[in-house]
Parts: sequence; structure tokens; C-alpha cells
Amino acid sequence: MSRIGVFVCHCGTNIASVVDPDRLTPAAREMPGVVYAADYRYMCSEPGQQMIKDSISEHGIDRIVIASCSPRMHETTFRKMLKGTSINPYMLEIANIREQCSWVHADKGRATEKAIGLVRMAVSKVSKNEPLYAQSIPITKRALVIGGGIAGIQAALDIADAGHEVVLLEREPSIGGKMAMLDKTFPTLDCSACISTPKMVDVGAHPNIRLMTYCEVESVSGYIGSFEVAIRQKARYVNHDICTGCGLCETKCPVKVDSEFNLGLSKRPAIYKLFPQAVPSKPVIDSESCRMLKDGKCGICAKLCPLGCIDYKDEARTVTESFGAIIMATGYQLVDWAAMYGEYGGGRYRDIISGLQFERTVNAAGPTEGHILRPSDGREPETVVIVKCVGSRDPKKGKSYCSRACCMYAAKHAHQILEKLPGSRVFIFYIDVRTPGKGYEEFYDQTRMDGAVYVRGRISKIYEEDGGLVCQGEDSLLGSQVRVRADMVILETAMEPSQGIEGLTSMLGAARDANNWIQEAHPKLRPVETQVGGVFLAGTCQGPKDIPDTVSQASAAAAKVIGLLNKSEMETSPMISAVERDKCSGCGACVGICPYKAITLQEIDDRLGAKRIKREVASVNSGLCQGCGACTAACRTGALDLLGFRNGQILEEVDALCL
Amino acid sequence: MSDRQEKMRQSAEKLLRDGEVGYVIGWGATRFCDRTTPVFIDSPEGAASLVWNEHAVNSLAKYLLDDKYPDKKIGLFARGCESRAVNRMIKDNQVKRESLYLIGVPCDGKSSDRCRLCRERNPLVYDVLLWEPEANAAPADRFERVRGVEAMSPDERYRYWGGVYDRCIRCYACRNACPVCSCRECYVDMGRTGFQGKQHSRSDNQIFGVTRAFHVGDRCIECGECERACPMGLPIMGQTQKMLKEINELSGEYECGLDADSDSFLGRFDLDDKDEFM
Ligand SMILES: Cc1cc2nc3c(=O)[nH]c(=O)nc-3n(C[C@H](O)[C@H](O)[C@H](O)COP(=O)(O)OP(=O)(O)OC[C@H]3O[C@@H](n4cnc5c(N)ncnc54)[C@H](O)[C@@H]3O)c2cc1C
Ligand code: SF4
Repeated sequence: MSRIGVFVCHCGTNIASVVDPDRLTPAAREMPGVVYAADYRYMCSEPGQQMIKDSISEHGIDRIVIASCSPRMHETTFRKMLKGTSINPYMLEIANIREQCSWVHADKGRATEKAIGLVRMAVSKVSKNEPLYAQSIPITKRALVIGGGIAGIQAALDIADAGHEVVLLEREPSIGGKMAMLDKTFPTLDCSACISTPKMVDVGAHPNIRLMTYCEVESVSGYIGSFEVAIRQKARYVNHDICTGCGLCETKCPVKVDSEFNLGLSKRPAIYKLFPQAVPSKPVIDSESCRMLKDGKCGICAKLCPLGCIDYKDEARTVTESFGAIIMATGYQLVDWAAMYGEYGGGRYRDIISGLQFERTVNAAGPTEGHILRPSDGREPETVVIVKCVGSRDPKKGKSYCSRACCMYAAKHAHQILEKLPGSRVFIFYIDVRTPGKGYEEFYDQTRMDGAVYVRGRISKIYEEDGGLVCQGEDSLLGSQVRVRADMVILETAMEPSQGIEGLTSMLGAARDANNWIQEAHPKLRPVETQVGGVFLAGTCQGPKDIPDTVSQASAAAAKVIGLLNKSEMETSPMISAVERDKCSGCGACVGICPYKAITLQEIDDRLGAKRIKREVASVNSGLCQGCGACTAACRTGALDLLGFRNGQILEEVDALCL
Repeated sequence: MSDRQEKMRQSAEKLLRDGEVGYVIGWGATRFCDRTTPVFIDSPEGAASLVWNEHAVNSLAKYLLDDKYPDKKIGLFARGCESRAVNRMIKDNQVKRESLYLIGVPCDGKSSDRCRLCRERNPLVYDVLLWEPEANAAPADRFERVRGVEAMSPDERYRYWGGVYDRCIRCYACRNACPVCSCRECYVDMGRTGFQGKQHSRSDNQIFGVTRAFHVGDRCIECGECERACPMGLPIMGQTQKMLKEINELSGEYECGLDADSDSFLGRFDLDDKDEFM
């Protein structure tokens, strides 16, 4: 017979003001197997914990129930407490009488009844608990950061500074991401390159960071502490081991194609660096436009290169590397507005540009050397219309979410135009202006002071007339139609997850939310983790955000990784699935159902009468299993059971409630 | 008919004489002219007792589960229904294709009521085909009966299934006949599952019915062996078919055992699974 102790917490008045401890505690005392019950103001406090420990030795208690807040809050606290006692940390159940009772009910009498029910269930369950023991798995002390935008850069630097090896993987030829494309950054208007390029250089020079640019993740296996990642190095056709980045090769290349970095506003050769400050500062050949690679005719760059770096026979290679932790920092892209907005000309009018194209235009290192000129005829615009929320906050058309950075960079763009083109006029069409950040509201005020005209309403149509663009929409504050004749229009378009996110997240087993952003493990309490142990999140791959938030999140993710890599091995949760091999027929229903690919079939030796046979049974990998229990529901014969949540324990709870 | 029967006998005899298989599973005569019985022929001479007539109604594949680790190959006469069962068993990792010799016998439709619903008369997998494939007869409406039950009001439906399960004697003949029931130990035989009592009562019988439907519903090959085996004549394939109909409506055309590669509907997890109920 078990000897159960029940400890009821008041949580100050959080619980006690609704649930009556003077009724609950005596009721608990009468429950089967309970030898001791007590209540206290704050169970989680030092004296509260001491009281529990003392009672355990005094009353020979062998398992406990704590009636308190959600187990997500303090289950670990109380498990840690039990480590110092005679009881196994898993001989504990939490009855949640706060979030699931006192906080959600007003009727004190009935809430107390319910709390008694919840405690009765926990008492029944704990009577079936068994000691569980954590296993430990070794940790490979090296991290992989996927995506070399500012999020990935910051995370890599933080981890490397803490003394751990990092591989920073970027699929483009250079790191830098969107921040490298920006001109100035709100709210302080410091030059984006001046603050990001030094970081890029640090990454390139850091002894603990290995840069793998122009690379893609091909497959991921393993689990927290020991991931195996196959990385595909795309063919560069330039030997980076000897290349000094002199740039001679780029000068005579006969090919001219749209520059990705300048978003089609200028051309680049087939052998190119993404931008002048690229890291690594060495070129690659774009095999789709190179004449030598396409038709076998040309070879000029090879003739020019003084060091003989050019190798037209270069091939993609795949290497497999081990990592203890992975940070996802794959960022965002802007929606393809032209495909979505036929009413804005669907991309036909050259003087309608995206916010990011404007960043390139206004940037001194950009195609117009920082002069704000409209693409069609290279004239300075006199009137500019800025349209916000293009594709954002519009469930019918684009995305229902807010892209968060656009309100601020729209203000920035207006400010830049008014500053660089004295006498110009800027109209900003908006739904709301959102400025929740330090110094943001002030920045917005300043822009209005500069003379930007804010018009509340969406633009319903843009068409060309006499060499200008007529923007037609509604001023919803005045309730009237408005028309503005503009020389240039800037669309502040919605962010969406980077292309390829689906494949990457499925390889890792990480979930995505309704909008395809990578899902965090808990929106409030575990914002930089995913549900997959050892896989963390940084930056806009988790949802739209600006640079300050991106960098904070990157450092937070790095802190998590550093914490993990500081250990040489880690304990895995013992609350995982276990197989009763005798019952398992090896049907494999669990293999396909496991979201974490934790189950494989394993051959075992067995006996059938006098005959020796080999048969397959399910086998659970304790590093991968997250204890979700999906397999235990799929297993028809019940050969799989979840330790800590065995079917028997759950039925015991149900019985306690219903019988 | 006798020509085909002769071909079957000859083929079994040869397989046994050549030592290709350990035994052949087929149909044999009984005392009753309108019945056959499954037979296990282990000598070339025995092949002469094989029969093929309209009363060869039992689906033979289930017997493969009695001998999952045979020393020699097992010869099995396979029609559409046997072959679909074999596909499912291979996918469920219960039998190995290499340990079977499938003698394909296109079916001309047997006397059983369930053959009315047959959608595949010809074996989908075989080692040898004894005669030309048969044209598939247009089957009766696949989900006609399910629709009938769906049309009832909840009360009527409860009365209907309650009535069915009042008569169930829990003999588990349906389980024993089902080719996709392949657990090493069936939950109904366990001492204390905690949710399924041994007593004969409407609620316990119904729990058995519902559980059975969930255990096999997404892998049911609609061979109708459960209903054929049921001594009380209960319409229990209606339950697995209800599952199949739901799956069809949720995710498009779905039929089991057509190949040995397809996952069962409830046996796979996909990040893109529909989850509008969440
Ligand atoms: C027009 C505009 C102006 C802005 N102005 C400001 C501003 O003034 N101030 C401010 O705070 N914020 C501003 N922002 C927001 C800012 O751009 C973002 O907050 C920030 O760049 C996000 O960084 P990131 O690292 O998360 O993503 P990104 O910069 O998108 O970096 C992601 C990186 O990952 C790489 N990648 C993607 N997928 C893979 C893959 N599968 N494998 C390998 N690599 C991959 C990409 O190539 C990229 O290099 C602006 C945004 C826009 C659109
Ligand atoms: S409990 Fe969940 S994670 Fe663990 S093996 Fe089962 S399905 Fe996979």
C-alpha cells in the first residue's frame, strides 16, 4: 500500500481566495492511501519545500501530490526538491488547482468541490507511479546556425565568444541577409552597413566560427546533443583556398544579369560577389548565366585570374557534420506583391517599387549612389506615395498578420525622401500606425514634423496617367475618396517565411504555424525553442520583427545553446515511450505516426516453440522521443506505453473522477 | 469450372513435388455439397483433394498469420481478396513476400453475399496466374449500408447498434477471421485493460465493437470475412466501412491493400495533416 502525502498550496490568495484549503486538506486526508495532508501559503518557497521534506521523513511518505499551480510552472521545482529526499523525483503528481480551478471559477463552493476532484485524481494516479530514472546522452560541443542574416551572425558570434565551435551556414554567396541591403535603420538612423559589416568581418575572422556560404542543408538526423547534418556545398567554380578576392575576374565578364542584391535595379556579371563588402570577399560563378558553363565558350575570367583560381569543372560536394545544437535563423522574404495586386498594375509600372528596392535606391552604395531617382526615367520624384500593409493585415488578400517593421521603416523612408529631396511631398497611406518600441513614437512624430502626410485608408487602385501614377483610395477619417498623383510609389510589403522553410522544418521535425513561420515551443515561456529538443529559433524565421528584436532573440537563442554546450552530457526526460517487446508484433504503426522519428524497428532473437526466430519490434530512441504519446494511441495492443502517463495511470484518474 | 480446378490441382502438385513450397493453402470438399473448407496440402498426392467451385468463400490469407516464420515457402491460392490481404500483411510487417508463393486464381464470384461488394476479382500480386483475368463486375454501391445508418436519427442509430450489440456473444470470430487483425496479443484477451470488461453487457459489447472498428478500420480491405464468420449474422463491417467512408471524405479516394507500400491512414504523421479540429 502506498503512503501518500498531499500538500495544498494557497498561492497567497491566488488559490485560497476561491478554493477553501480548510475543506480541501481534510478531504484529501480521507482519500485512499493518503497518510498525511497539509496546506501552506507558498509551497514553492524555501519554508514550504522544507515542510514537505520534513513531512516525508516524519511520516514515511513514499509519494506526494502537490495541489498548486500548473505543472508547467513548478513541476521541475518540486522534482528538484525531491532529489534531496528518499523519494524518486517522479513519485510526484501536481493537481493544478490554480490555472484550471481558482483562476477560472467564481463560485467558491463549487470550485472547492472541483479542487477536491482534481486532488482525488492526482492521488489515484500517484498511487500507480513508479520510480523513473533519467538517462544521459553525450553532447557534441559544436553548434550549427542556419542562415547568415543579422540573427545568425549575432547568434554565431555569441556562441563563439563563449568558447564553442560554430558553423554558420548561408545559402547565398555571402552572409549579411537583409540588413546588409538596408540604408539606414530606424529609430536612430545609423547606417546599416556601418553597424552590420563589422559584425560580418568578425564572423569571418573568428577562430571559433567556420563560415559555410553557398551551402544548403540536405538532411538532418539524430537528436539533441548529436545531430548529423548533411551539408551540400554548391559548386562555386572559384577555388576559395587561393583566391584573394582581388576582383579582376569580375571586370571583363561579358555577361550582365539582374543583380539579386540590388533587386533588379542594376546588373551584375556571371562571376560576382553579392556586394562589395561581402563576407567571404570572394566571388562565385553563377552557373545559370556563365557562358563557359552554359555553352563552353568564353573562359575570360580564367585567363584574367593571376592565381589560377577558376575551375569550371568544380562540382557540388556533400559533407556530413555533427552538432550538439541547431539554431534556425533563416529569416524572411517579401511577398510577391506583383502577383497579388493586379490593381496596382501587377508589376507593369516601373515606378512602383518595394520598400527594399527603395532601401537600395537611397543607399550610397546602391545603383543610383544614393540619389532618389525613379526607375523609369531617372528623374527625381516630386510626389511620393508610400502604401503600408501591402499584403499584411489582409486575410482576404494576403496575410492576416502585421509585419511589424513596416510602420517604422515607412516613417524612415518618408523622412529620408523629405530630407534628400527638399520641397518634395510624401503621402503615407496606413491602417494604423504602430510604434511600440523605445524611441519609435518619437521617430514617427519627427517624420510628421518633417512634413509627411499620413492618410488613413487603403489604396484601392493605382494606374498610370500622363507619365505619373494616380493612387486612388479612401480617406477613412474623412470618409471620402482621395486621389494622389505621384511620381513614385513605394509599397511596404508583407514579410513571409523564406522560401524552402517547409523542407527544412520537416527535416528537423519542427512545426510551423498557420502562416508557415516556425513555431516556438511556448509563445511566452519558451519563445526561442522549438518543440524539437536542441533546435532553437532566432530572428524573423519565427515571425516578423525588426532588428532590435531579432538581435535580442538571437542572443537569447545563443544563451540557450551555450547553456547546452557547456555540459558534456545531458539528462533526457525519462517520461518517454517504452516498448513491451513481448506484445509488439512489429507492425510499425508507431514508426509512421511518431512526429519526431523516434521509433525504428529493430530485429531481435526470439523463440517460437522450439524454433529460433528473428523478428522485428519497435525500439524508441530516448534522445529523440519527446513523450508526446502519439505512438501509445496508435499501438493497438498497447505494447507501447508512456512512462509517467501509463494507460493504467490515466484510467485510474478517470475512475477516480467517475466512479 | 472443373478445368480450372484441374489446373489448380496440377499447380499445387508440381509445387509440392518440386519442393518449392512446404504446403499449399486452398479449398477442399466437405460433407455438404454447398460448403468448402480451407485445406492445407503438404504432399503432391494431397493436391487431388483441392476444389474450386462457387462455395469456395473463405478468404484464405488469414492462415498465413499462423505460420509467420515458415521453413519453406507457403503456397497460397490468391484471388483479389487474398492478394489485398497479403499486401496489407506485408505492409504491416507480418509476412514476408519472399516466404510466399502466390498462385493467382482470378475469381468468378462466389456464393457469399459479401462478394456483391467485391471491387477486385483478380489477384493484385501473384507468382503465377493460372488463367486469364476476369472482368470486374460493377460492384454494388460501396457505402450504401453506411449511408442507411447515417440517415438515422441519433436515437434510432443508438437503438440500431444497441440492438446489434445486445446480440453479440463476444466469441471474437470476427477478429479471428480478419486478415488485418495481427496483434500478438489481442486486447480483448488481456486480463485488465481497465476499459473493457469481460462481462456480457450492451456497453461492454459496444466498446468492443467500437474498438475493433478503430483497430482495423483504416486498414480494412473490405473482404467481409468478419461478417461471414459472425455466428450471429451481425452487420459489423458497417463499422469499418464507416471509417473508410470518413477517410474517403476527408482525404480523397482511399482503399486498402491495393499495394504493399501505402501507409494506413491512421498510421502516419505528416506536418501537413489536416487539423481543422484543433
Ligand atoms: C524595406 C525594409 C526596411 C527595413 N528597415 C529596418 C530598419 O530600419 N530597422 C530595423 O530594425 N529593421 C528593419 N527592417 C527589418 C529587418 O530587415 C529584419 O528585422 C532583419 O533583417 C531580420 O534579420 P534575419 O536575420 O532574421 O533575417 P534575414 O536578414 O532575412 O536573414 C536570413 C538569412 O538566412 C538565409 N537563408 C534563408 N533560408 C536559408 C536556408 N534554407 N539555408 C541557408 N540559409 C538560408 C538568407 O539567405 C539570409 O541570408 C526592414 C525590413 C524591410 C523589408
Ligand atoms: S511518445 Fe511521441 S515522441 Fe515518443 S516515441 Fe511515441 S510518438 Fe514518438
